[in-house]
Amino acid sequence: MKILIIEDEKSLREVMARSLEKERFVVEEAGDYASALQKINDYDYDCVLLDIMLPGGSGLSILEELKRARKRESVIIISAKDSIEDKVTGLDLGADDYLAKPFHLAELNARVKSVIRRKQADGDMHISIGNLSVFPDRHEASIDGKELKLNRKEFDLLYYFVINPDRLINKTALAESVWGDRIDQADSLDFIYSQVKNLRKKMKTAGATPEIKAVYGFGYKLVSEPEP
Amino acid sequence: MKLIHYTIGKLSVVMIVILTVWAGIFYLNIFDEVWDETDDSLENFKTLIIRQFMRDTTSLNLGDKDLMSQYRIRQISEEEAVRYRERYFDSTRFYETELDFDPIRVLKTAFRGPNNHYYELTVQISTMEQDDMLQAMLMWIVILYASLLICLIIVSQIVFRKSWRPFYHLMDWLREFTLGGDTPPLDNPTKVKEFQTLNETIAQMTRRSEKMYNQQRQFIENASHELQTPLAVCQNKLEFLAENTPCNEEQLQEIGQLHDTLRRAIQLNKSLLLLSRIENGQFHETHDIDMNRLVRETAEDFNEIYEHKEIKTHIKEEDQCAAQMNDMLAHILVSNLVKNAMTHTPPGGEVTIDIKRNEILFSNTSDNPPLDPDRVFTRFYQSDYRRKDSTGLGLAIVKSIANFYRFNVEYFHDGRHNFRISL
Repeated sequence: MKILIIEDEKSLREVMARSLEKERFVVEEAGDYASALQKINDYDYDCVLLDIMLPGGSGLSILEELKRARKRESVIIISAKDSIEDKVTGLDLGADDYLAKPFHLAELNARVKSVIRRKQADGDMHISIGNLSVFPDRHEASIDGKELKLNRKEFDLLYYFVINPDRLINKTALAESVWGDRIDQADSLDFIYSQVKNLRKKMKTAGATPEIKAVYGFGYKLVSEPEP
Repeated sequence: MKLIHYTIGKLSVVMIVILTVWAGIFYLNIFDEVWDETDDSLENFKTLIIRQFMRDTTSLNLGDKDLMSQYRIRQISEEEAVRYRERYFDSTRFYETELDFDPIRVLKTAFRGPNNHYYELTVQISTMEQDDMLQAMLMWIVILYASLLICLIIVSQIVFRKSWRPFYHLMDWLREFTLGGDTPPLDNPTKVKEFQTLNETIAQMTRRSEKMYNQQRQFIENASHELQTPLAVCQNKLEFLAENTPCNEEQLQEIGQLHDTLRRAIQLNKSLLLLSRIENGQFHETHDIDMNRLVRETAEDFNEIYEHKEIKTHIKEEDQCAAQMNDMLAHILVSNLVKNAMTHTPPGGEVTIDIKRNEILFSNTSDNPPLDPDRVFTRFYQSDYRRKDSTGLGLAIVKSIANFYRFNVEYFHDGRHNFRISL
């Protein structure tokens, strides 16, 4: 899977790249309008992460260029301008998703995976880790083929864990993935704590091999193959 | 006091003084003239009588009475005649017809007759009554004053209205003017130099304030935008650090705290950006929002979040409430108010949301003392009970959304804390 990151802030580009490389993506970077355009014309990517404000031109014209060339890249717009207009324009031009800065790495990972999944999924897609299978479109999960009963929020949490396996996920990233970022972190953390507790209990009772581990003071991690 | 009333008041006082002085001078002059004339006629009369008497001492009916004047001739001794001094004086005479004393002017003089006898001549003439005259004059002066005043009021109303029209227009325009509002430019044509200068000065001043206001608004938005990327770098680097560096639990906890603090900065920045966006009117798209549904859903969400506080939430839907507003702003408005109520309710407390046709009332129980209704919606309002992790902007955002849609939002305390939004 090849990903192109178009972002002018070097340190942000680097940390995004390293985080995605951990997920075994092949990542290329472009820091300005001209080099981005050149890369897009020369190669094919599975997903393009596109900053709108670039030195030398607008990210939106890169998007137009992509669509004109009838390329199949999924595009996620990454913008410091968290404005509805930009979002609407971007999505109208054919972007697949819109992520406002600042974002969590786990969130970026989840978005990238989900646009790629959407593009590939023709039938019923599922993600499997150990004996746990998650069906995002049906909002269902099963362990060893037996259905795991979850409420909506528990499922959202589980999906976020499954799409970010073996990664340390910050608790506020979890809270925001469930509630959106308009909810103050401190308020939702108690809720996250109790929901994750329930989720762990349900998974354990059903005999799931992956395990959610708490990392005190920071967040949680879904360990796909816990040591015995 | 209106300018026109003040001016008329001042003018009428000046007019009273002028008219009083004028009336006095007029009175004195008129009487002087009248006496002069009277004395002249008495003199003439005297000459005529004496001439007649000289010709024929018997021709005159002594003490003849006529309507206007009378005279009397009395013989006097020589010594008396030598000492005699001619004099004029005022006196009165009783008229039977009027049963009243009327004023008269008298001339007493002495002369030597043709027969070398001396005579005293008294000539008297009826004069006008000073009292009546005075009264009449006073009355007419009052009438004059009143009519002058009426004229003055009418004229000044007309003149004022015409000549001060640009001034009043300017005043109305200024009253309508709000910074950042959509006030039309000042259109106030006038030929008067002073008003032209005033127009120019005010237009210049408002332009300058408008420009500064816009710059400031823009500055907050730009600053927030510029901050997004560095904040993103910090946050992502911290996350990467936590995940990929072998850290012990203590170090991870430190990173976690750093991350939380950074999240607060991010939240604050987002709230500031949202505030300036609302104030810059960047949310154009509006929909019909079903407030009942929105409130129900929001309350449900927050009930889940605050489950551990075991708050009893009641939603009283007395009527259907709908609003024409931006989707996102409607969500923010309702969720900020619901969140505000829930966070300040003690565990086991009660939140009531009362939905009427044109208003929604959020009220919650709390032991905290009443807040300052004037300041509760200001940015970073420091109440003694503010939570340490709050941005202090939630209610400011509520207020600015309300202002944007010209809703009214108010706080009051009646044992419970109440926030009422009137659409």
